[in-house]
Amino acid sequence: MSGSGDPPYVIIVGGGKVGFHLARHLIERDYEVTLVEKDAARAEWIEHQLGTVSIMVGDGDEMAFLATTGIERAGVVIGATGDDEDNLIVCQLAKIKFNVPRTIARVNNPHNVAVFRALGVDAPVSATELLMGLIEAELGSELVRGVAVKASGTCLVDLALPPVSGFVGKRIADIALPKGGIIVCIVRAGKPVIPEPATIIEPGDELVVYSQLADVAAVGEALAKG
Amino acid sequence: MRVIIVGCGRVGARLARQLDAEGHHVAVVDQLVSAFNRLGRDFGGEMIVGNCIDEAVLRRAGVASADCFVSVTNGDNRNLMAAQIAQRIFKVRRVITRVYDPIREAVYRELGLETFCPTSLGADLIRDYFIEGVNRGHPAASVDKPAVRAS
Repeated sequence: MSGSGDPPYVIIVGGGKVGFHLARHLIERDYEVTLVEKDAARAEWIEHQLGTVSIMVGDGDEMAFLATTGIERAGVVIGATGDDEDNLIVCQLAKIKFNVPRTIARVNNPHNVAVFRALGVDAPVSATELLMGLIEAELGSELVRGVAVKASGTCLVDLALPPVSGFVGKRIADIALPKGGIIVCIVRAGKPVIPEPATIIEPGDELVVYSQLADVAAVGEALAKG
Repeated sequence: MRVIIVGCGRVGARLARQLDAEGHHVAVVDQLVSAFNRLGRDFGGEMIVGNCIDEAVLRRAGVASADCFVSVTNGDNRNLMAAQIAQRIFKVRRVITRVYDPIREAVYRELGLETFCPTSLGADLIRDYFIEGVNRGHPAASVDKPAVRAS
Protein backbone atom coordinates (compact mmCIF):
# COMPACT_ATOMS: atom_id res chain seq x y z
CA MET A 1 0.00 0.00 0.00
CA SER A 2 1.13 3.50 -0.72
CA GLY A 3 1.50 6.19 1.94
CA SER A 4 -1.68 7.59 3.39
CA GLY A 5 -1.40 10.91 1.59
CA ASP A 6 -0.86 9.50 -1.89
CA PRO A 7 -3.76 8.48 -4.07
CA PRO A 8 -4.06 4.70 -4.06
CA TYR A 9 -2.70 2.45 -6.80
CA VAL A 10 -5.68 1.56 -8.99
CA ILE A 11 -6.04 -1.48 -11.23
CA ILE A 12 -8.75 -1.31 -13.86
CA VAL A 13 -9.74 -4.55 -15.58
CA GLY A 14 -11.35 -4.05 -18.97
CA GLY A 15 -10.23 -1.48 -21.52
CA GLY A 16 -13.56 -0.82 -23.22
CA LYS A 17 -15.14 2.62 -23.26
CA VAL A 18 -15.68 2.70 -19.51
CA GLY A 19 -12.24 1.40 -18.56
CA PHE A 20 -10.45 3.62 -21.03
CA HIS A 21 -12.12 6.88 -20.00
CA LEU A 22 -11.86 5.98 -16.34
CA ALA A 23 -8.12 5.36 -16.70
CA ARG A 24 -7.65 8.68 -18.45
CA HIS A 25 -9.67 10.49 -15.80
CA LEU A 26 -7.66 8.97 -12.95
CA ILE A 27 -4.30 9.54 -14.62
CA GLU A 28 -5.18 13.22 -15.05
CA ARG A 29 -5.72 13.30 -11.29
CA ASP A 30 -2.30 11.78 -10.61
CA TYR A 31 -3.42 8.30 -9.69
CA GLU A 32 -1.07 5.45 -10.46
CA VAL A 33 -3.15 3.30 -12.77
CA THR A 34 -2.69 -0.06 -14.46
CA LEU A 35 -5.22 -0.92 -17.10
CA VAL A 36 -5.68 -4.61 -17.91
CA GLU A 37 -7.01 -5.45 -21.35
CA LYS A 38 -7.47 -8.89 -22.92
CA ASP A 39 -7.18 -7.83 -26.53
CA ALA A 40 -3.65 -6.92 -27.68
CA ALA A 41 -4.78 -4.66 -30.53
CA ARG A 42 -7.14 -2.75 -28.28
CA ALA A 43 -4.38 -2.42 -25.68
CA GLU A 44 -2.02 -0.99 -28.26
CA TRP A 45 -4.61 1.55 -29.34
CA ILE A 46 -5.17 2.64 -25.73
CA GLU A 47 -1.44 2.97 -25.16
CA HIS A 48 -1.24 5.15 -28.23
CA GLN A 49 -4.09 7.35 -26.98
CA LEU A 50 -2.99 7.75 -23.40
CA GLY A 51 0.75 7.65 -23.82
CA THR A 52 1.82 7.28 -20.25
CA VAL A 53 -0.67 4.68 -19.12
CA SER A 54 0.62 1.40 -17.81
CA ILE A 55 -1.34 -1.17 -19.74
CA MET A 56 -1.03 -4.93 -19.43
CA VAL A 57 -2.38 -7.48 -21.86
CA GLY A 58 -3.94 -10.42 -20.09
CA ASP A 59 -6.94 -12.00 -18.40
CA GLY A 60 -7.99 -10.09 -15.31
CA ASP A 61 -9.60 -13.22 -13.91
CA GLU A 62 -6.46 -15.35 -14.08
CA MET A 63 -4.80 -15.53 -10.67
CA ALA A 64 -1.32 -15.97 -12.09
CA PHE A 65 -1.73 -12.93 -14.30
CA LEU A 66 -3.23 -10.78 -11.57
CA ALA A 67 -0.21 -11.57 -9.41
CA THR A 68 2.01 -9.85 -12.00
CA THR A 69 0.11 -6.56 -11.86
CA GLY A 70 1.35 -5.55 -8.42
CA ILE A 71 -2.14 -6.18 -7.11
CA GLU A 72 -0.95 -6.81 -3.55
CA ARG A 73 -0.21 -3.10 -3.14
CA ALA A 74 -3.36 -1.91 -4.94
CA GLY A 75 -5.77 0.25 -2.96
CA VAL A 76 -8.62 -0.20 -5.42
CA VAL A 77 -9.48 -2.77 -8.07
CA ILE A 78 -12.18 -1.93 -10.58
CA GLY A 79 -13.93 -4.55 -12.73
CA ALA A 80 -14.97 -2.53 -15.76
CA THR A 81 -15.64 -5.09 -18.48
CA GLY A 82 -18.97 -5.44 -20.25
CA ASP A 83 -19.63 -8.81 -18.59
CA ASP A 84 -21.04 -8.89 -15.07
CA GLU A 85 -19.70 -12.36 -14.29
CA ASP A 86 -16.15 -11.30 -15.16
CA ASN A 87 -16.38 -8.14 -13.07
CA LEU A 88 -17.68 -10.11 -10.10
CA ILE A 89 -14.93 -12.72 -10.24
CA VAL A 90 -12.18 -10.07 -10.64
CA CYS A 91 -13.46 -8.24 -7.56
CA GLN A 92 -13.81 -11.42 -5.51
CA LEU A 93 -10.32 -12.64 -6.40
CA ALA A 94 -8.87 -9.20 -5.61
CA LYS A 95 -10.60 -9.09 -2.25
CA ILE A 96 -10.19 -12.68 -1.13
CA LYS A 97 -6.84 -13.72 -2.58
CA PHE A 98 -4.99 -10.40 -2.66
CA ASN A 99 -6.61 -8.52 0.24
CA VAL A 100 -7.38 -5.45 -1.85
CA PRO A 101 -9.20 -3.05 0.50
CA ARG A 102 -11.71 -1.67 -1.98
CA THR A 103 -13.36 -3.28 -5.00
CA ILE A 104 -15.61 -1.52 -7.46
CA ALA A 105 -17.58 -3.28 -10.18
CA ARG A 106 -19.33 -2.01 -13.24
CA VAL A 107 -22.74 -3.70 -13.21
CA ASN A 108 -24.24 -4.04 -16.65
CA ASN A 109 -27.53 -5.65 -15.67
CA PRO A 110 -29.17 -3.42 -13.04
CA HIS A 111 -30.78 -6.51 -11.45
CA ASN A 112 -27.32 -7.50 -10.32
CA VAL A 113 -26.54 -4.55 -8.05
CA ALA A 114 -27.93 -6.21 -4.93
CA VAL A 115 -26.37 -9.54 -5.93
CA PHE A 116 -22.92 -7.97 -6.23
CA ARG A 117 -23.26 -6.37 -2.84
CA ALA A 118 -24.36 -9.66 -1.28
CA LEU A 119 -21.40 -11.42 -2.87
CA GLY A 120 -18.87 -9.05 -1.35
CA VAL A 121 -18.22 -6.29 -3.90
CA ASP A 122 -17.73 -3.02 -2.01
CA ALA A 123 -19.21 -0.72 -4.63
CA PRO A 124 -21.32 -2.07 -7.48
CA VAL A 125 -22.03 0.74 -9.95
CA SER A 126 -24.80 0.38 -12.47
CA ALA A 127 -24.63 2.97 -15.23
CA THR A 128 -27.94 1.74 -16.55
CA GLU A 129 -29.63 2.22 -13.20
CA LEU A 130 -28.18 5.69 -12.74
CA LEU A 131 -29.26 6.66 -16.22
CA MET A 132 -32.73 5.19 -15.76
CA GLY A 133 -33.12 7.13 -12.52
CA LEU A 134 -32.18 10.35 -14.26
CA ILE A 135 -34.46 9.76 -17.20
CA GLU A 136 -37.31 8.61 -15.02
CA ALA A 137 -36.95 11.75 -12.97
CA GLU A 138 -37.20 13.83 -16.13
CA LEU A 139 -40.18 11.92 -17.44
CA GLY A 140 -41.99 10.96 -14.28
CA SER A 141 -43.19 14.11 -12.67
CA GLU A 142 -42.91 17.77 -13.35
CA LEU A 143 -42.44 18.25 -9.66
CA VAL A 144 -39.06 16.59 -9.81
CA ARG A 145 -36.70 19.30 -10.83
CA GLY A 146 -33.24 17.96 -10.52
CA VAL A 147 -31.51 14.85 -9.43
CA ALA A 148 -28.06 14.38 -8.02
CA VAL A 149 -27.01 10.78 -8.14
CA LYS A 150 -24.46 8.98 -6.05
CA ALA A 151 -22.83 5.67 -6.83
CA SER A 152 -24.34 4.20 -3.68
CA GLY A 153 -27.71 3.95 -5.35
CA THR A 154 -29.13 6.79 -3.31
CA CYS A 155 -29.80 10.25 -4.63
CA LEU A 156 -30.85 13.72 -3.79
CA VAL A 157 -34.05 14.94 -5.38
CA ASP A 158 -35.23 18.50 -5.49
CA LEU A 159 -39.01 18.46 -5.21
CA ALA A 160 -41.22 21.50 -5.59
CA LEU A 161 -44.42 21.21 -3.56
CA PRO A 162 -47.61 21.54 -5.57
CA PRO A 163 -49.53 24.82 -5.09
CA VAL A 164 -51.99 23.14 -2.76
CA SER A 165 -50.14 20.68 -0.61
CA GLY A 166 -51.19 18.86 2.51
CA PHE A 167 -47.68 19.29 3.80
CA VAL A 168 -47.96 23.07 4.13
CA GLY A 169 -48.35 23.98 7.78
CA LYS A 170 -46.99 20.62 8.98
CA ARG A 171 -43.88 20.21 11.08
CA ILE A 172 -40.95 18.25 9.61
CA ALA A 173 -41.25 15.82 12.53
CA ASP A 174 -44.82 14.96 11.47
CA ILE A 175 -43.99 14.13 7.85
CA ALA A 176 -43.44 10.48 7.05
CA LEU A 177 -41.88 9.83 3.67
CA PRO A 178 -42.01 6.34 2.20
CA LYS A 179 -39.08 3.94 2.63
CA GLY A 180 -36.80 6.13 4.67
CA GLY A 181 -36.74 9.19 2.43
CA ILE A 182 -35.26 12.08 4.41
CA ILE A 183 -35.78 15.80 3.92
CA VAL A 184 -32.25 17.17 4.08
CA CYS A 185 -32.87 20.76 3.04
CA ILE A 186 -35.68 23.19 2.38
CA VAL A 187 -35.25 25.78 -0.34
CA ARG A 188 -37.34 28.77 0.69
CA ALA A 189 -37.43 31.79 -1.61
CA GLY A 190 -34.22 30.61 -3.23
CA LYS A 191 -32.37 30.21 0.07
CA PRO A 192 -31.52 27.00 1.87
CA VAL A 193 -33.10 26.38 5.25
CA ILE A 194 -31.78 23.57 7.42
CA PRO A 195 -34.80 21.52 8.48
CA GLU A 196 -35.30 21.07 12.24
CA PRO A 197 -37.99 18.75 13.60
CA ALA A 198 -40.05 21.80 14.48
CA THR A 199 -39.62 23.59 11.15
CA ILE A 200 -42.98 24.20 9.52
CA ILE A 201 -43.42 23.78 5.76
CA GLU A 202 -44.51 26.96 4.01
CA PRO A 203 -46.30 27.39 0.69
CA GLY A 204 -43.86 27.46 -2.24
CA ASP A 205 -41.12 25.53 -0.40
CA GLU A 206 -38.91 23.19 -2.36
CA LEU A 207 -37.71 20.11 -0.59
CA VAL A 208 -34.39 18.40 -1.21
CA VAL A 209 -34.98 14.76 -0.37
CA TYR A 210 -32.41 12.00 0.11
CA SER A 211 -33.75 8.66 -1.05
CA GLN A 212 -32.94 5.32 -2.64
CA LEU A 213 -32.94 5.70 -6.40
CA ALA A 214 -35.67 3.09 -6.79
CA ASP A 215 -37.96 4.91 -4.36
CA VAL A 216 -37.77 8.37 -5.90
CA ALA A 217 -41.08 7.93 -7.68
CA ALA A 218 -42.85 6.89 -4.48
CA VAL A 219 -41.40 9.85 -2.57
CA GLY A 220 -42.44 12.23 -5.34
CA GLU A 221 -45.94 10.82 -5.31
CA ALA A 222 -46.26 11.16 -1.56
CA LEU A 223 -45.22 14.80 -1.76
CA ALA A 224 -47.58 15.49 -4.65
CA LYS A 225 -50.51 14.01 -2.72
CA GLY A 226 -49.51 15.68 0.50
CA MET B 1 -36.16 -33.66 -5.85
CA ARG B 2 -36.25 -30.24 -7.54
CA VAL B 3 -33.19 -29.58 -9.66
CA ILE B 4 -32.14 -26.50 -11.61
CA ILE B 5 -29.56 -26.91 -14.34
CA VAL B 6 -28.06 -23.80 -15.93
CA GLY B 7 -26.43 -24.36 -19.31
CA CYS B 8 -28.09 -26.74 -21.74
CA GLY B 9 -24.94 -27.95 -23.45
CA ARG B 10 -23.90 -31.60 -23.70
CA VAL B 11 -23.41 -32.08 -19.96
CA GLY B 12 -26.42 -30.04 -18.90
CA ALA B 13 -28.77 -31.69 -21.40
CA ARG B 14 -27.58 -35.20 -20.61
CA LEU B 15 -27.96 -34.70 -16.88
CA ALA B 16 -31.38 -33.10 -17.38
CA ARG B 17 -32.63 -36.07 -19.41
CA GLN B 18 -31.31 -38.58 -16.88
CA LEU B 19 -32.85 -36.88 -13.88
CA ASP B 20 -36.11 -36.26 -15.70
CA ALA B 21 -36.32 -39.94 -16.68
CA GLU B 22 -35.71 -40.87 -13.04
CA GLY B 23 -38.75 -38.85 -12.07
CA HIS B 24 -37.14 -35.72 -10.63
CA HIS B 25 -38.48 -32.25 -11.22
CA VAL B 26 -35.98 -30.60 -13.56
CA ALA B 27 -35.78 -27.00 -14.81
CA VAL B 28 -33.14 -26.09 -17.40
CA VAL B 29 -31.99 -22.53 -18.08
CA ASP B 30 -30.23 -21.43 -21.24
CA GLN B 31 -29.93 -18.20 -23.16
CA LEU B 32 -30.54 -19.88 -26.51
CA VAL B 33 -33.84 -21.52 -27.38
CA SER B 34 -32.02 -23.76 -29.84
CA ALA B 35 -30.01 -25.32 -27.00
CA PHE B 36 -33.15 -27.03 -25.74
CA ASN B 37 -33.17 -29.22 -28.87
CA ARG B 38 -30.58 -31.33 -27.07
CA LEU B 39 -33.22 -32.36 -24.53
CA GLY B 40 -35.19 -34.33 -27.10
CA ARG B 41 -38.93 -34.68 -27.42
CA ASP B 42 -39.45 -36.90 -24.37
CA PHE B 43 -38.14 -34.35 -21.92
CA GLY B 44 -40.85 -33.53 -19.42
CA GLY B 45 -39.11 -30.81 -17.38
CA GLU B 46 -39.21 -27.05 -17.62
CA MET B 47 -37.20 -24.98 -20.08
CA ILE B 48 -36.46 -21.39 -19.21
CA VAL B 49 -34.93 -19.04 -21.75
CA GLY B 50 -32.83 -16.39 -20.07
CA ASN B 51 -29.60 -15.22 -18.56
CA CYS B 52 -28.56 -17.49 -15.69
CA ILE B 53 -26.80 -14.70 -13.82
CA ASP B 54 -30.03 -12.73 -13.57
CA GLU B 55 -31.76 -13.23 -10.24
CA ALA B 56 -35.17 -12.75 -11.84
CA VAL B 57 -34.53 -15.54 -14.36
CA LEU B 58 -33.37 -17.93 -11.63
CA ARG B 59 -36.44 -17.07 -9.60
CA ARG B 60 -38.57 -17.93 -12.61
CA ALA B 61 -36.81 -21.29 -12.75
CA GLY B 62 -37.86 -21.91 -9.15
CA VAL B 63 -34.53 -21.39 -7.40
CA ALA B 64 -36.27 -20.40 -4.17
CA SER B 65 -37.60 -23.92 -3.71
CA ALA B 66 -34.84 -25.93 -5.42
CA ASP B 67 -33.02 -28.79 -3.66
CA CYS B 68 -30.11 -28.91 -6.10
CA PHE B 69 -28.49 -26.43 -8.46
CA VAL B 70 -25.99 -27.23 -11.22
CA SER B 71 -23.88 -24.65 -13.09
CA VAL B 72 -22.62 -26.08 -16.37
CA THR B 73 -22.57 -23.25 -18.91
CA ASN B 74 -19.39 -22.91 -20.93
CA GLY B 75 -18.13 -19.93 -18.93
CA ASP B 76 -16.28 -20.43 -15.62
CA ASN B 77 -17.14 -17.00 -14.28
CA ARG B 78 -20.74 -17.34 -15.34
CA ASN B 79 -20.97 -20.70 -13.53
CA LEU B 80 -19.33 -19.31 -10.42
CA MET B 81 -21.64 -16.31 -10.31
CA ALA B 82 -24.83 -18.34 -10.88
CA ALA B 83 -23.77 -20.86 -8.24
CA GLN B 84 -23.04 -18.17 -5.69
CA ILE B 85 -26.44 -16.58 -6.29
CA ALA B 86 -28.06 -19.97 -5.69
CA GLN B 87 -25.99 -20.79 -2.62
CA ARG B 88 -25.59 -17.46 -0.86
CA ILE B 89 -28.76 -15.61 -1.82
CA PHE B 90 -31.32 -18.38 -2.28
CA LYS B 91 -29.72 -20.84 0.18
CA VAL B 92 -30.05 -23.85 -2.12
CA ARG B 93 -28.70 -26.81 -0.14
CA ARG B 94 -26.71 -28.55 -2.85
CA VAL B 95 -24.96 -26.44 -5.43
CA ILE B 96 -22.35 -27.80 -7.81
CA THR B 97 -20.30 -25.81 -10.30
CA ARG B 98 -18.11 -26.74 -13.22
CA VAL B 99 -14.89 -24.72 -13.41
CA TYR B 100 -12.42 -25.44 -16.22
CA ASP B 101 -9.58 -23.40 -14.71
CA PRO B 102 -8.02 -25.55 -11.93
CA ILE B 103 -6.64 -22.53 -10.07
CA ARG B 104 -9.95 -20.73 -10.00
CA GLU B 105 -11.60 -23.99 -8.99
CA ALA B 106 -9.31 -24.30 -5.98
CA VAL B 107 -10.02 -20.71 -4.91
CA TYR B 108 -13.78 -21.16 -4.93
CA ARG B 109 -13.65 -24.61 -3.36
CA GLU B 110 -11.76 -23.01 -0.50
CA LEU B 111 -14.57 -20.46 -0.25
CA GLY B 112 -17.05 -23.25 0.33
CA LEU B 113 -18.50 -23.79 -3.12
CA GLU B 114 -18.85 -27.40 -4.30
CA THR B 115 -16.90 -27.49 -7.56
CA PHE B 116 -15.48 -29.92 -10.08
CA CYS B 117 -12.84 -29.35 -12.71
CA PRO B 118 -13.06 -31.37 -15.93
CA THR B 119 -9.54 -30.24 -16.79
CA SER B 120 -7.91 -31.91 -13.78
CA LEU B 121 -10.30 -34.86 -13.89
CA GLY B 122 -9.42 -35.43 -17.55
CA ALA B 123 -5.69 -35.04 -17.02
CA ASP B 124 -5.76 -37.42 -14.02
CA LEU B 125 -7.70 -39.98 -16.03
CA ILE B 126 -5.15 -39.96 -18.83
CA ARG B 127 -2.24 -39.99 -16.40
CA ASP B 128 -3.70 -43.02 -14.62
CA TYR B 129 -4.11 -44.85 -17.91
CA PHE B 130 -0.51 -44.16 -18.96
CA ILE B 131 1.12 -44.78 -15.60
CA GLU B 132 -1.14 -47.30 -13.85
CA GLY B 133 -2.55 -48.89 -16.99
CA VAL B 134 -6.05 -48.31 -15.70
CA ASN B 135 -8.64 -46.49 -17.76
CA ARG B 136 -11.06 -45.33 -15.08
CA GLY B 137 -13.42 -44.03 -17.76
CA HIS B 138 -13.80 -47.56 -19.21
CA PRO B 139 -12.17 -50.03 -16.79
CA ALA B 140 -13.03 -53.09 -18.89
CA ALA B 141 -11.22 -51.88 -22.00
CA SER B 142 -7.76 -51.94 -20.47
CA VAL B 143 -7.66 -55.26 -18.57
CA ASP B 144 -5.13 -57.09 -20.72
CA LYS B 145 -2.79 -54.16 -21.38
CA PRO B 146 0.39 -54.17 -19.30
CA ALA B 147 1.32 -51.03 -17.35
CA VAL B 148 4.10 -48.82 -18.75
CA ARG B 149 7.12 -48.78 -16.47
CA ALA B 150 8.46 -45.49 -15.14
CA SER B 151 11.65 -44.51 -16.96
